[in-house]
Amino acid sequence: MSKLNKLFKNLKIKKKSAFCGFVTSGDPNYASSKAIMKEMTKHCHIIEAGQSFSTSTSDSPIIMEANDRAIKSGMNMTKTFKLIKEVIKETNNDTCFVIMTYLNPIVVYGVKKFIKSSASIGIAGVIIVDNNLNSPEEKILLNGLSKKGIGYTKIISPTNSEKFIQQSIKNTKNSFIYITTYAGLTGSKNVNLNNVKKLVYKVKKYSKNMPTGVGFGIKTPKQVKQVSKYADVVICGSNIVNKIKEGHERRLSAPKLAKFVAKYVKQLSESTK
Amino acid sequence: MKIDPFKELNPPTKDGYWINKKNKERYGGQYISPLLVPNLKRVQEGFFKAIKDKKFMKELNEELLSFIGVNTPIHFSPELTKLAGGEKKVGKIFLKRTDLHTNHSHKPISAYSCCKLAKYLGFKKVLTETGAFQNGRAVASACAALGLDLDIYVGANDAKKLAINKDISALHGANIIEVHDSTKSLLPAMAAALRAFQSEPDSMYIVGSVAGPHPYPLMVRTFASVIGRITKKQFKSLTGKDPSTIFAVCGGGSNLESITYPYIKSNKVKLYAVESAGKGIKTGKHGATISGGGKMGVLLGMRSKVLLNGGNIADSFTEASGLDFSSIGPEVAYLHSIGRIKFLTATDIEAKKTFMMMARKIGLICAIEACYVIHAAIREIKKTGKPKQNHLIHLCGSGEPNVAQMMEFMKKNK
Repeated sequence: MSKLNKLFKNLKIKKKSAFCGFVTSGDPNYASSKAIMKEMTKHCHIIEAGQSFSTSTSDSPIIMEANDRAIKSGMNMTKTFKLIKEVIKETNNDTCFVIMTYLNPIVVYGVKKFIKSSASIGIAGVIIVDNNLNSPEEKILLNGLSKKGIGYTKIISPTNSEKFIQQSIKNTKNSFIYITTYAGLTGSKNVNLNNVKKLVYKVKKYSKNMPTGVGFGIKTPKQVKQVSKYADVVICGSNIVNKIKEGHERRLSAPKLAKFVAKYVKQLSESTK
Repeated sequence: MKIDPFKELNPPTKDGYWINKKNKERYGGQYISPLLVPNLKRVQEGFFKAIKDKKFMKELNEELLSFIGVNTPIHFSPELTKLAGGEKKVGKIFLKRTDLHTNHSHKPISAYSCCKLAKYLGFKKVLTETGAFQNGRAVASACAALGLDLDIYVGANDAKKLAINKDISALHGANIIEVHDSTKSLLPAMAAALRAFQSEPDSMYIVGSVAGPHPYPLMVRTFASVIGRITKKQFKSLTGKDPSTIFAVCGGGSNLESITYPYIKSNKVKLYAVESAGKGIKTGKHGATISGGGKMGVLLGMRSKVLLNGGNIADSFTEASGLDFSSIGPEVAYLHSIGRIKFLTATDIEAKKTFMMMARKIGLICAIEACYVIHAAIREIKKTGKPKQNHLIHLCGSGEPNVAQMMEFMKKNK
């Protein structure tokens, strides 16, 4: 059974939602990012690690700044794999690591090599923001990752058509489908609970057992609690990244920065139902 | 001269790919966030509907003739011909005077057409990006003429240059947004405009080049091809035949595709694209995606050749803002891959010297971008031109925005 499916099975028994924290891999630098991720594994069922791409077409200015910090510190796909590998080895817990990125870093790294590296390191899932449902790369990645038991997540938003949602459910394997709470950029607006209810209902209508991950604009423990009533995974990103920025600007050392960020992550995580 | 109806000569697949049949490589496609899918669908369906709508196309063509003035002259240049070796040795050199359009470049054709489409589809506001502000200025003028609101995204570094085009855009009423991400140039500006499109589905995004996700490369070249369609008729009536060679400068490729499109299936017409070699290809500081060894990548919604730096996009470098782009339109990359378009380069210094030559010997202040192509064309015609041949160079823009930059060059090189 895939890592993510195992997680969902366990949480189902406990009737609990998973908490997923997003960080940009290598933000603000390798050492601090590693310390932050290690600390976050204590509170996150899933860590979504963003492999930065300078020409991202979907991230808010907060994430764009994080991407710039990571790129300036020399991050690339090889280093992201190395970082996650070290975190997994040094923490030895069940936290699932999901890589979120754009297609270009994968194409440049090599699609087949990406699948191989993900499997050997123990990556639980992959999200590629700009991979079209019908692109040739979609088939290769979906089949390749599925064969290795790695989850593949598609994103849907409140403005997508029924046909698009159905196809996205079909292309989501061994993982959760990512529902955005509004149509816009990450972290740019507030959660729209009505959208969440409607989309979760739609997904469950087409695929009863498809786990739902809900993200975009979830910033407070209260919002985490509200969303976790409907979602199998609650995803928080922009505000965690903001904490990293704040701590980095205060020149906190890597261990102190990790504790500072984790304190906030803990508050969010404990609010899941 | 009238504009003939558009004929599709090189259709992409329904998913927007041009496929090289020999090596199966795909160029184009639609690599976007799912959140953009509905917005692009509206533009895509609207575009295909509009180009089949005879009333829309008739009105558009009339306005391109009267408002933009697409019927610019083609003239024989005895001076350039002489520079290349003389008519008896290399044939004649002609210039297509696209610099004489309203707003002085090739950009106003696709800018006006796309804004007209935005209005046709019921949008009230347009979003676009710009590097040299040629596109920004052209869209600003079109939006003013058609009563549309406009946000222009520009890299913070680019915003400092070419102040006249920026000021003209502002005078037309455009809202100018500076982008401070990444390299603060055209690529992050385009990414920012695409992100804004995701947040503002009620606005229509317009690309300034033959780049971006499907249908933009197709849409921009289809509209821009009016230049080539008029040129083909003009050239025939002037010389009785098609040109032997056509030379156009190439950053993203809109300028190149605008004039070469009607000839892509006429194999007797040799097509040349000229890229900016910046400080020289070997220095690594250039804007030459094809000649500088660009590899296949995926960015800004398309699969095409890209200058890469690891998994990220490498900075391009050239003193011509209009050529400062680390990638190339997918159809152009495809046409290069099948051998239909040959690529040449010219350096920044060669372009600047050509600018001065054009100013002093020909009496024209050309866009710095056009000077790369004039330099490379003369060099190529000198080498390969034959008597009785006719060569056509796309003089794609006026150099008025480059005046300050060139005054500095003139003073330093007295």
